[in-house]
Amino acid sequence: MIFPLIQSDFLKIKRKGMWLLCLIGPFGVVALQMVNYGVRKDYLFEQMDDRWLYYLLNINTFTPLAIVLGIVILTSFMSSIEDETNAWKQLVALPVSKRSVYLSKFTVISCILFLSSVLLFLFVFGYGLTLGLGEDIPYLRLMEYSFLPFFAALPVLGLQLWVATISKNQAIPVTLGVIGVIFAYSAPLLPDWMIWKWPALSNDWGHAYINALLGIGFGVLLYLLGMVDFKRRDVK
Amino acid sequence: MISVISSEWYKLRKSKVLLLLLVAPLVGLFIGMSSSLGDIGAINPWYEKLVMMNFTYAVLFLPLISGVLASVICRYEHQKGGWKQLLALPVTRGKVFLSKYVLLLLLIFVMQLLYLVSIYLVGMIGGITEPFPMDIVWKTIVGGWMATFPLIALQLWVSIAFKSFAAPFAINVIFTLPTILVINSERFGPYYPWGQPFLMMNIGGSAEDFFFVPWDQILMVVGGSFLLFFIGGYLYFQRKAI
Amino acid sequence: MEYIVETKNLTKSFGKEKAVSNLEMKIPKGEIYGFLGPNGAGKTTTIRMLLGLMRPTSGSVQLFGKDMKNNRIDILKNVGSLVENPSYYPHLTAKENLEASRKILHAPKERIDEVLKLVRLHGVRNKKVKGFSLGMKQRLGIAAAMLHQPELLILDEPTNGLDPSGIIEMRELIQSLPKEYGMTVLISSHLLSEIDQMATRVGVVTKGKMIFQDSIETMRKIAQASIQIKVNDNEAAWRSMLANGQKADLGEEHINLQVEDDEQVAASIDYLVQQGFSIYRVQEETRSLENIFLEMTKEEHAE
Repeated sequence: MIFPLIQSDFLKIKRKGMWLLCLIGPFGVVALQMVNYGVRKDYLFEQMDDRWLYYLLNINTFTPLAIVLGIVILTSFMSSIEDETNAWKQLVALPVSKRSVYLSKFTVISCILFLSSVLLFLFVFGYGLTLGLGEDIPYLRLMEYSFLPFFAALPVLGLQLWVATISKNQAIPVTLGVIGVIFAYSAPLLPDWMIWKWPALSNDWGHAYINALLGIGFGVLLYLLGMVDFKRRDVK
Repeated sequence: MISVISSEWYKLRKSKVLLLLLVAPLVGLFIGMSSSLGDIGAINPWYEKLVMMNFTYAVLFLPLISGVLASVICRYEHQKGGWKQLLALPVTRGKVFLSKYVLLLLLIFVMQLLYLVSIYLVGMIGGITEPFPMDIVWKTIVGGWMATFPLIALQLWVSIAFKSFAAPFAINVIFTLPTILVINSERFGPYYPWGQPFLMMNIGGSAEDFFFVPWDQILMVVGGSFLLFFIGGYLYFQRKAI
Repeated sequence: MEYIVETKNLTKSFGKEKAVSNLEMKIPKGEIYGFLGPNGAGKTTTIRMLLGLMRPTSGSVQLFGKDMKNNRIDILKNVGSLVENPSYYPHLTAKENLEASRKILHAPKERIDEVLKLVRLHGVRNKKVKGFSLGMKQRLGIAAAMLHQPELLILDEPTNGLDPSGIIEMRELIQSLPKEYGMTVLISSHLLSEIDQMATRVGVVTKGKMIFQDSIETMRKIAQASIQIKVNDNEAAWRSMLANGQKADLGEEHINLQVEDDEQVAASIDYLVQQGFSIYRVQEETRSLENIFLEMTKEEHAE
């Protein structure tokens, strides 16, 4: 029931540059560190004994921003594809439930973001190897810093997809996204309950996976709220 | 020319663009209130607030939100053949482009003023008793505004080119994010157009010139990229098939 | 009688405004139902409720005897639709646009080529829809609506943007559907002439209310010609005719005679002459369907 919809949504995002963004996101995050380490490698090596960890921390100053902004762009793209000629009415007049229409959009964007996380893992790992950060490669941490931000960012995805699908004017979700990225950037100053802080993987307990679990929990919650609201609304 | 600008303004007046401008002081309040930098050895507590607030505001918020404004200003024309209707009026394309650009400049200036208010509010709430350093604050407000000239020229260009909000925003993000890193570099920082809002609003910058950035850098980087993006967008719009 | 579409007390309010009020639509199987009304009468809102895009404020929609509220997906499997302006994905080709719907409809892949040929877009199937003319986009929308060979086809103003030859083609296509596929068609329009040429039943809606619903023949009967007679004393003549058992109305300047054939006209005039009335004029007045439609909708506007 849901798979044809997802296939159809993947077809619709052709030629929109969304796959390119999926690549640019993780590549950009690593490229910034290439510049960083390229310019002042010696200085950065002195900052911490565990060079791998310091490298990952550097990576992770940009990952949350890239994810939050990536979510804003992808969700806005996704709904503008249907908004452009008001294809919502044609889509919802097909024999599909509105719930699955919403679930399909959520799934497609999650897939793209997850693929970005896989690419991030590969790029971070690959560039890390060339830097000579030490023999002990912290695989577990590498995985954590590549994939946990994705899970921790699911509530932001839930929120942005919701606002983007119900807004006729995409300035609203995009502005919300700009505010969100300011929050994500100010993560250390935010209280733990704010969803934009979670992709930074820091919290008072000191366990990164808590952010991921919270992310999955609240991501599902915000997804459900958005879906119920979407189902309730008339299609104009 | 004035009539084209006022018609542009008329179209925007009732939209939510004014609410959009209010986001700036709110973000200013948020950064100002949440930051607790402690003593950084500044001459007076206003400077402390200015350093903290201007950093996040100028590095990320200002460039990103100006791009959103540029898209908003083209929104009506992208809907159902609005460009056709506008350009069928007795106006030249050049005037339309210039009017949209000037209106953007005005909107961003208003936004800067609102941000100024938020700086003052943060100080008042924080109980700062020293006199408000208006001379310095003015320079950062006007300087930050001038630094957005090239950025909004580019954003206007891509906003005219793409119907969706997402595409111009993506381009904006790709150029804005690296700023965080680039401004740390003394070699590259001064030449990166997206870094200029921060450099112009950073009160720790060079104090010898009128702004916190030397005039030749303003002329070369801000002026140069402005000319490049403005002329590029202008020519693109002249040739765009409507 | 088996109704493919049946609404009961269908009402939709936007705030205080009632866009559709107590609408009772009945469409028997195999008919081409012309849904007529001026712009803004509530046609599109009704159609949106028929497709489950909008929820009725009150009342119910039944398609194929099933309630829309609980069987939306089941019902929509057998409905094809084109609502208002055609919707499409400009960055995709004609074929890809249909493919996006086909996957969801589970229609066989060959159907894409079939429907593309049906609407004469096969030659441009691999071109992006962005560059299509309005008429081509409209035809693509109809192709999408026919993909799964639905039992009910709902077309909202389908001839919008089509050129005269396109309109004729569209009419022929629509007329063939009930015969060849047993489809039932609902087609809305604000132009009576268009409906007149293909519909078998008509529903006229204005200000959200259904003011006429019957077969097109019944509507034509109302439009039939009447004979006007002017004599030296209209009122006396009229009374005399009524007394004689003839159907007639008294107008301001003449008597309107309701007659079925020429013989009756002759008989009536013969009678008037015998009664000693001086006959000044006998003329035929034809009321076009357009006039009837205007009259029907005008009365409502006057309220």
